[in-house]
Formats: sequence, structure tokens, C-alpha cells
Amino acid sequence: MILEETVPTELVIRGAHVLDPSSGLDGVTDVRISSGMISEIGEGLRGTREIDADGLHLFPGFVDVHAHWRTPGREDEETIETGSAAAAAGGFTGVVMMPNTDPIVDRPVVVSGLVRRVERESRVRARVSAALHVGLAGERLTEMRLLKEAGAFCVSDDGLGTASAGVLRNGMLYARSAGLPVILHCEDHTLATGVVHDGVAASLAGLPGSPASAEDAATATALILAAETGAKVHITHVSTALSAALVGFFKDRADVTSDTTPHHLTLTDDLVSTLDGLYRVNPPLRPDDDRDGVEVALRDGVLDFVATDHAPHASEEKELPMEEAAPGFLGHETAFAALYTDLVLGGRLSLARLVETMSCAPGRWVGEGGTLRVGEPADLTLVDLSEEWAVDLGAMISRSSNSPYWGRTLTGRIVSTIVGGELVHDRTGAGFGVRA
Amino acid sequence: METRSFLSLEDTSREELREILDLATAFASGRVTDALVHKTICLAFFEASTRTAVSFELAARRSGAHVISLSERGSAISKGESLIDTVVTLDSLGADAIVLRHPAAGAAALASRHTSAPVINAGDGCGQHPTQALLDLYALADALGGFDELAGRRVAIVGDILHSRVARSVIPGFVRAGVEVSLVAPRTLLPPDVEAWELPVLSSVNDAVGWGADVLYMLRLQKERMTGARIPSVAEYARFYGVSRRHLKNGVLVMHPGPVNRGVEISGDVVLDSSSLIADQVAAGVCVRSAILALSTGAVQRAAA
Repeated sequence: MILEETVPTELVIRGAHVLDPSSGLDGVTDVRISSGMISEIGEGLRGTREIDADGLHLFPGFVDVHAHWRTPGREDEETIETGSAAAAAGGFTGVVMMPNTDPIVDRPVVVSGLVRRVERESRVRARVSAALHVGLAGERLTEMRLLKEAGAFCVSDDGLGTASAGVLRNGMLYARSAGLPVILHCEDHTLATGVVHDGVAASLAGLPGSPASAEDAATATALILAAETGAKVHITHVSTALSAALVGFFKDRADVTSDTTPHHLTLTDDLVSTLDGLYRVNPPLRPDDDRDGVEVALRDGVLDFVATDHAPHASEEKELPMEEAAPGFLGHETAFAALYTDLVLGGRLSLARLVETMSCAPGRWVGEGGTLRVGEPADLTLVDLSEEWAVDLGAMISRSSNSPYWGRTLTGRIVSTIVGGELVHDRTGAGFGVRA
Repeated sequence: METRSFLSLEDTSREELREILDLATAFASGRVTDALVHKTICLAFFEASTRTAVSFELAARRSGAHVISLSERGSAISKGESLIDTVVTLDSLGADAIVLRHPAAGAAALASRHTSAPVINAGDGCGQHPTQALLDLYALADALGGFDELAGRRVAIVGDILHSRVARSVIPGFVRAGVEVSLVAPRTLLPPDVEAWELPVLSSVNDAVGWGADVLYMLRLQKERMTGARIPSVAEYARFYGVSRRHLKNGVLVMHPGPVNRGVEISGDVVLDSSSLIADQVAAGVCVRSAILALSTGAVQRAAA
């Protein structure tokens, strides 16, 4: 917001290949942005301020409904400023922040404080998810109606899952009355007692495993309750073929949506053999057949979109044996490139479907962005699909460096990210200044 | 003499309601006296009660009946005697009516199938509490100027409808009297198939006032519901489902079956406000229950039955 007064309010992006499945755009054209909105799309547009985007692709901005910015409480791992800068560097224009901070986001005063800080400190549109239960303890409901008044966008027990079906059912009923969507991390903690997927790799490595049933049983419970209560439920980070199939079964029977992550779409439990705590994540990386099933479900529209579960951790929490490491991966900065490299260039997912699942569908879910039309907010991502770049842990924009893609060379790089007409990340060298 | 059990209001017609309330008015005015002389009324209370038990006892005694009170303490109930055995015993001893309060829904209907004496439901679990709904109608009709004034009025029933026997009698009773009813509660305090009532479901007392409620009928929030499983906090409940003075402009009335949780469903300064019919509801209990006892025992013959 600092540059708001000094930067001209008009910008023309010239010559990009504009791709947006939600509006049907798929070709080279120009886009004019005025006063933060898309004002004109067509050939031959000129303006006082132009970005020459010849050879680049322009998408509606990506939206990530699952991010941990560790604020308040673990600002050594991520802050609103660094988390939003990492999101902008990954092409994300909208984010939902998860409530498992310290203090936990379970009281209206914490929500209103975060909302105010986001306005000042975030480069992207950041929404606050409050906790579904006090202390994320799965017992007492939070004051959801007061949380909503304070600015909460949704509720979630992410990171811990919910204690019992009975408690979850009441949570869904109350959330429905409060008019808040519920994001669910589905893991049954009586089953999820291990640190990696309970499969061949865990057996060979001698690591305690969490079976796929831990996710599948919890997912089934959540879906059944969603259908019964009528709550608006979003199942996050689906990682098994069976959970994806269960989501498919309930798609027309409940007000339910779902996502999976870049890492569950591109990595498998082969990495368990490294015994490196970096690769610990919840739900755990799965075997090939689960990864395949999740990919097919995303391709076929059973799973609605991608979310990163961006989970920064300090090095002292990750440079540990698997059993002692904290679970979680950085996600924002590598999401598009990892999926483009492995799935699109691998011939397994169309670029249009990738844009649909990173921009359009999550944008619809949050009710803002995700579409490139005249009259809509100018939330845009400009991408160079030909640029190859090495993931360098020393060069991450996030305050942490726990990326599972370190050392890999990925194809496809975010050039610029625009939120409400302002550049919040820019590698064009146009020198317009980035809102910070 | 024809006797009749009185279990719910679900099958009670508008004309029957009018007849009952007219008879209650006759009792209240002293035009009917000694209707229950030589009758024996048994009060079998398997669950604690203050106002219902006292008002039934007064209703019976003022009309000249003998009253036998059984409570959970000091009777065979505390020895584990079953509901059916207890009411059959009372029946065999010659009770002319058995007034039953029980913690399980359907208890009154079950008892009535095993007795020749009529059974009057004085509240069964989360099932029915028909005499409460009748005294509510009586008090409201009285405040509005007569039974016919009920038609077209808007009453919002607010609170724990899921666990409320009062709501399950007030809803059909008020609807039958021509009242437009809406329900105000979070989904955690509504039955899952609340749509079966075909009534509007609103999300706050503010919304109820906006809907045009003439009456806010506040239900009691039981203490055991305040622990966070179904509602997050008393503060949030009071904010959205409690009535306070700002809701009472334009002549909106407040009703409550008692006992009130001050500061939860009703702010303290409203309980005894002029907008409150709470005391009138309690007062109406005696004449309405006299009328029910008289009709059930056949001491007064019903016209519309």
C-alpha cells in the first residue's frame, strides 16, 4: 500500500498469451488495468505504463486456501510480510491463513488483530481462518459468529484434525448457522500414529507408519457429516486414491469441495529412504498408486483445486531424523513450477486445467479473483513457461527453507504478480516499483 | 362421564383450543367452582418441577379435588418401580386422573395405554408439554384482547428447540390458533429435520424483530448446554439469541416458560419489564390446568371433542 499514492493507476500488459478457462480466453492479446480493475482486453492497447509481455503467459492470479504464515508466535519461521512475499513470488494473489499459531486464532480479538496486520503487511489478499474449536482441542466450539464479525473468513482445525465425529458434527452445524465454510484436515489420530506413510518404504526403513486408512476413515466421516449437516465443507490436502474416490461419491450429495497439494501430486514415499526429516509431512507422501489416483481425480474434476499447505519450519525443526522432525513443506514459491514441470510437461495435465485448479476454482471458492474479465479485480500472474530455474534453499523468499524440491531444476517461472493492479512481485525489470 | 387423556396439542383443533381457554376463563372468573369435588387427582412426578407441580396442585384443590402427590423421593418410584407399574397402581387405587411428569419422551402416551383413568401430560422428556402451551396461549390472548386476536400475530420461538418439550407443544398449539411462528436457533439446537415444521428458521433475535415478531418466546438454555459442545459461550449466545431492551421497541412482547437464566436468554432488566408476560404465564397456569382437569375427568363435558 506504500506506493499507492505515487504509482500511476493505469497499466497495460502487452502481448502476453492470456489463458483463463473461466472466461474462455486463450490467445495473445493485451490487458488494460485501471484503478485496480481489469478495464479492457483486446488488441493494440497502449498506455503510459506498459509491460512488454511478449512470449509470456498471463493467468488469473493463483489462490492458495492453505497457508501457514506462523504469525503470531513463530515469526522466526515466517511473517505476514515474508509469507506474502513468498506467495507473490509463487504467483499467488490470494491466500487463506491457517489458525494453528501461538496464540491460536480462536478468539475474536486475535482475528481482528490479524485482519488489521494483513491490511498493512501483506502483499497479497490474505484471509484469516479461525479455529473451529477452542485451542484446536476438538471440544468446545469457538465463538464463530463473533469470529466472523471480527473478520474471519472460514474455520478450520487444520494441523490437528478433529477429535470425534460427534464433536465435528456439532462444529459443522454451528458453522453452517454462522455462515462460515469449514476447512478440514482429515486424519484419524487413533490411526495416524506414525511419521511416514505405512508402506513398503516405511517397513524397509524401520519407521513407524501412518496408514492410508487414517486419512480415508476421517475423510469418509467428514463427508458423511457434511452431507447430513448441510455445512459448506472443504477437504484439504487429499493424498490417497480412496479419499479422492470418496470425495467423488459425495460431490453431488454434500456442499463439499476439495484440494490436493503440489507435493502429493509430484512426490512419493520413495523419499522415505533418505531418512531425512525434511521429507516429513502430514498427510505423508504416498506410494505411486495413490499419487496416480490423486492426479487422475484432479484431472477429472473430482478434486477441485490445488492448495500448497505452505508450512515453513526453522532448520532446527527439520534437520533431524524423520521421527523427530516437524511435518510440513514450503509450498508457495515452487507450486506452479513443480506442477508445470512434472504434470503439464509430463503430458499428464493440461495447462488450462492447471490454471483452472490454481486460479479459477479456488478463486470461486473464496469469492474473489480467479477470473480474467473486464470489471474484475486485476489479480494476475505473469509467467515465463520456458525459464528453467534451480530451487536454491539459500534463495527462498520465505523466511524458512524447507522445500522438498531443493536441488531440482524446474521449468516455468513467475515473472510478475499483480494484486488489485499493483505489482507485488516483479522480475520484468520494468522498474515500476513493487508494492511492499 | 366421558374421560379423555391429554397428551399433546398435535391433534387439537382451533375450536378445541378456544373451548379450553373459554373454560379456563370461566374458572379464573369464578363462574365455575367446585368442578372437581369428589375427584381424586394423582400427581406423579418422576422429575423435579416447581411451577408445574404447584399449579396443578392448586388447580385441583381450588376446584375441590382430593390430591395425591407422588414424587421421585419418598415413593416406590425411588425403589425402581417401573412407570407402568406405578400408574397402574394409581389407577387401581381409583384415581380419576393421573398427571404425569417424566424425563422420557412418550412416557405419558405409554402410561395412558395401561390405565383406565385419563393421563394428563405434565411434560415428558423432550416430547410434549401441552398445558404449558395452553397457558401461554391464554396469557397471550389475554394480553392481546381475546382468542381471536391471536390470528395473524407473529411469534418467534428462540433458543434450544432441539431439547424443548415446550417448543414441541407451543409450535402446533400456536400454529393451530392462527399464529405465524418462526424458529430462531443455531443448527446445533435445532432438530436435524426442522424443515418438517415448514416454519421460517431465523438466525438471531435481531432477525426475528426484522421479521416482524410481535412476541419473542424465549426458551430456557439448560446449564448443561452451556459447556461449549453445542454453543461456544454464553456471551455469543446472549449476543445473538438473547433478548435485551433494544429489541422491545414497538410493543414487542416477551414470553418465557421459566425458570429464566437472567443474562443468558433474557437480559436481567427485561425479565420483569412491562413487555414481559412471564408472570402472566405463571398466573394463567392454575385456571388453564383446572380446565384441563375438568375436561379430562369428564367433570365438564366438552362440546367440540
